[in-house]
This record gives sequence, structure tokens and C-alpha cells, in this order.
Amino acid sequence: MVRFPKATTAWLLLTPMMTIIIGVVGYPLIKTVYYSFTAAHLASPATTDRWVGFKNYLKALGNTKFLDSIENTAYFVSVSVSAEIVIGVLVALLLNQTFKGRTLLRALLILPLALPTVVNAMMWRLIYGPDFGALNALLTQIGLMAEYQSWLGDPDLALWMVAVADIWKNFPLVALITLAALQTISKDLIEAATLDGANAWQRFWTVVFPAIIAPVSVALVLRTIEAFKVFDIIYVMTRGGPANSTKTVSFHVYQEAFAYMRIGSGASYALIVVLISAVLIATYLWLIKKQGNTA
Amino acid sequence: MTALSLKNINKSFGEIQVIRDINLDIKPGEFVVFVGPSGCGKSTLLRMIAGLEEISSGEFWIQDRRADQLPASERDIAMVFQSYALYPHMTLAENIGFPLRLGNQPKEIIEKKVQEIASILRLEKFLDRKPGQISGGQRQRVAIGRALARDPKVILLDEPLSNLDAALRLEMRIELAKLHKQLEATMIYVTHDQVEAMTLADRIVILNNGEIAQVGSPLDLYTKPANTFVAEFIGSPKMNLFPASITEGHPGETKINLIGSSSNLMVNKDIEPNNELHLGIRPEHMTPSDEGAIKGIVTSTEQLGSDTYIYFDSETKEQAVARLNGITAIRTGEKISFDASQEHYHLFSPGGDRIN
Repeated sequence: MVRFPKATTAWLLLTPMMTIIIGVVGYPLIKTVYYSFTAAHLASPATTDRWVGFKNYLKALGNTKFLDSIENTAYFVSVSVSAEIVIGVLVALLLNQTFKGRTLLRALLILPLALPTVVNAMMWRLIYGPDFGALNALLTQIGLMAEYQSWLGDPDLALWMVAVADIWKNFPLVALITLAALQTISKDLIEAATLDGANAWQRFWTVVFPAIIAPVSVALVLRTIEAFKVFDIIYVMTRGGPANSTKTVSFHVYQEAFAYMRIGSGASYALIVVLISAVLIATYLWLIKKQGNTA
Repeated sequence: MTALSLKNINKSFGEIQVIRDINLDIKPGEFVVFVGPSGCGKSTLLRMIAGLEEISSGEFWIQDRRADQLPASERDIAMVFQSYALYPHMTLAENIGFPLRLGNQPKEIIEKKVQEIASILRLEKFLDRKPGQISGGQRQRVAIGRALARDPKVILLDEPLSNLDAALRLEMRIELAKLHKQLEATMIYVTHDQVEAMTLADRIVILNNGEIAQVGSPLDLYTKPANTFVAEFIGSPKMNLFPASITEGHPGETKINLIGSSSNLMVNKDIEPNNELHLGIRPEHMTPSDEGAIKGIVTSTEQLGSDTYIYFDSETKEQAVARLNGITAIRTGEKISFDASQEHYHLFSPGGDRIN
């Protein structure tokens, strides 16, 4: 049998996967960077190689619609992620108590998470429906509201309503991660703190909080990265409307590149989004590394 | 005056009663050890005193205050856990000072107290470290330090040495005994190790199946075990129990027959005739003698250097053991006979209670 040096074997084994990754990730990425410096348009092949330098980028950064979409995204991210963290941690604390039916509730917690985003979006669109929606029915029947509302048709409300749908689907992830961390806390520690004279609040801050802060911050960054890329739920529920009030950066990129077919400038938008994501991902990696050091 | 007082204490988990009718007074400054096999209820009893487990019925008093409904945080009782239960993200100084910080003590007082405790426990050099960066023995000392910080009325210790290796266990045992003398604190210590109980306790409480089998000083329990359970639990190797009967007696003299054996033993006492007695003799009180009443065939020996344990099948069909000083030449398969002087006889009724 032929024996290669270890490094050669490693390269040999990596080659098939590397070829695939270069083919489906590397090449399109390089091509995207290239297009972002051109005036490429899907409908006119002649434009593909028309070099425009940094014009696309300058245009992007001066485009109020794009800047609005960044603002919308920031809104969406901060509302949905902060609510997901707060609700997730509270639910995890509840599910960490002993009570009848706890196992069933823990199992139910997975359901929203298991739902495909598109199905979740369609379900909430039905709930918010202006004519036959469950939310309108509920609020009018219990007397909180006099007449039906068009929840997704109101520019002041639509982004919040989409955020609610996203929160419902994603808080269980935070809850599960937190619950896992809570279960690693030794009962002795809680009891020791009790005997040391700590009340419930002090026990939370001295024992529980330090044990869950690291995993919860990982969940926070993961959810931020995900929420920043939000696309499918917007596509299904509002298509960015009304009046662009739910248009997020991903949706803006999609519109520019595929609806208006301006591949060149779409690519420049996409790369700006990638850059922002990269910062978030770097934060995530830094957090993971920090946790590895303290553990 | 009593530090703690338990009156008719019971505890049930659902249908299962784990603690039955415990009555016990603990004096200030006393070192009391709860000992018993696993599942005897000793840890549950300790947790009830701490306030971590509810008392199903009975009264619990701390000094002259009724305390069975008092929350754990208000009992002024500290506890050292088997797992040490140190706060992993706090330094040792913060761990020790934690109960004082919760009590809103001024910073200087906390620092002074932490320094004082650290010097008693030889931890000064490690105060800036976190629990993950020190050894098991040091963690143990920090856990004790945290318990001392508040000058609590009582310190509870739940099998505090069982996570340490044998050498460290011995060292910490001696240190604990010293610490108790130095601080004159009331301590309740739970263990399943009778050696720890014998060496540390002012008073031992032996628990069996949730009941107190006997309370007394270590030597009381050794010399006058109240029943066969205590007799076998205290002492190593455990006491030999031979089936015996008493059929006749003259005033001032009773003849004990070992069942299955032709030999008799005499005691200068009046004891009621009974066919189902147990005669207990500790291994260390068996002396080899050619005419000895206890006969058997050696099945194995253990040479410890300082002692030799001789295991033998006695005529009464019981496995028995004798502990002889030093090194002996007795071998497996040999016939052997032992005697014991009558002050070392322990007689137990059929129900297991002591009768002499």
C-alpha cells in the first residue's frame, strides 16, 4: 500500500469537498464582486462587462430607499430579537420549575420552531387577515376593538405585526438554549445561596444569571444574524409593503437584482449587506472563543 | 440551654415515611454526627434542619424559637455541601464574603472577616483565584470558610469529605476537629463513614430506616451498643454475632450455650432463660486459646502489618472474624479456637435489643 505523508492525505481527502465549495460558493462570490463594479442588467447581455467602478456603491449609499430598508431592518432586528430573548428566557425559567404537564409543554415548545418559515408566515397572514382574520375576530368579540383592522395594510403597524410572527416562531430557540443551560446549574448552588441568605432575586443574579449569560448571548448573536437576513417571512406576508414600510435589506437586494433585473447594482447592495453580516458573525465567533476560554 | 431541639419530627415523601419520630436536643458548641447506611434518612434530617426540606410533622426549635416554618434564609444556619457548591464565577474571597455581602455588611468588615477566615483555613494565597483553579481540598476549605463567614448558630456538613482522596480525607478530618475546638461552633455532620463519626463526634446519632437507633458518645456506642444494628455498624471489622441460648442459671451465674457448639460460656450475672439470643463479641476481643469456647476453621486471613484479621467458619455456622495484634502465622484451613473475657460479651434479645 502506498503511504502518503499526512499533509498529502489531508489534501487528497479535502479536494472533492473543496471543488464543490469553490464551484458553488467561491465562483458565484467572485462573480458577484465583479458584477458589483459593472452595469450588468439581466435583460441586456451587452451590459454585463460594462465597467462602472465604484458608481454602484456610491449610488447605493446615497439611495434613501436602501437606507430606509437598513433602518427597517434595524427596527425589525431590535424588536424581534429583544422580545425573543426576554420571552425565551422567561419561558425557560418557567419550564425549569417542577409542575404537572412540564414535559408536554417542553415538547410543545419545539412546534413553532419545527414549522417552515413560509408556513408560519402564511399562518400569520391568515390570522391578521382584514376580513376573516382570527385576530380581528378575537379583539372585536372580547370588546377591545370596535371594528376590523387591516393589520398588514397599515404602514405604522405592518413591521410590528411581522415581528410578532417572527417572535412567535423563534423565541422557542432561545428558550431551549436557556433551558439547557439552566439544567446544568447544580441544585446545591441554589440551595447554598438560599442558606447564605439570598432571596429569589439575589439567587437569580448570583447563580442563575452567570450560568446562562454565555449561552444566551450566543443565542442573541445567532438570532441577530438570522433576523438581519430576514426575507421569506416578508416575501410571504407583505412583499415589503405597504409603502415600503416592511422592506428590509434582503428584500431590497432581491428587488433590485431580480425584480428590476439590475444585477450590477444589486450585487453592490448584496455585498454591503454581506459586510454588515460579517461584523455580526465576527462578534459571534469572538463570543464563542471567549466562552471557550472561560469554560 | 439547647442550640437545636427536634421534637417528634416526621417526614414523608408521599406514601413513604423516611423519618420517624425523631427526638433530639443538641447543645451549643456540640459536634454531633449523624451516621447510618445510605437511605437511612440522615441527609434528609440534615436538610430539614437547614430548611431545605419541609418537616411533615413535629416541632423544630432553634434555641427558644420555634423554627419549623421559618424559611431557610432566616434560620441563621450554614451548610457545607458534599459538592462544595462554590459559586464558579466568583473568586474565593467573593465566595467566602458572599453571605456577608447579602447581609449588607460594610466593605471593610467583609474584607477583614474574609482575611481572618482565610488565615484560619490557610487560603490567603488563593483568595483571588476562582474555584475552578484550586484543588479539591482547597475547595473544601473555601466551602467551610463560607459557612463560617456569618458566625452562624449552627454549621451543617453533609458528607463534606467524601469527594476527597484517602490521604486528604484524613488530613481534613483532623483539621475539622481542630477547627471545631478553636471556634466552639455547633456542628452537625452527616457521614456514612463510622471512622469519621467515631473520631469527630462529641455525640453520635445512629440512624436506621429513618429512626434513631442510638444516641451517645462514640465510646458509649462502642462499649454498649443498644441493639444489633449499632453493634454491627460501629467497629471495624464488625462485631461477631453468634446465635446462643440460655437454658439454666444459678443465682449470680448464667451459662450461655452457643447453638451448634458443645461449648458454653459463663457470665457472673442473672439473665432470664431464652432460646433465641445473640451473643456479640468484637473481633479485637477474641483471643486465641487452645481451650477456647468459640471454635472454627480458618477460611482466610488478612495481614495488615499492625493487625491480622482471621476469618473463620465457626461451629455455630456463622462467618466470624478475629483481630489479632501484629503478624501471626495462622493459616487458612487451620482449626482455631478463641476465648473472650466476659466483660466483652454483648447479649441481644431475639428482637435485637441489648439485654446485659
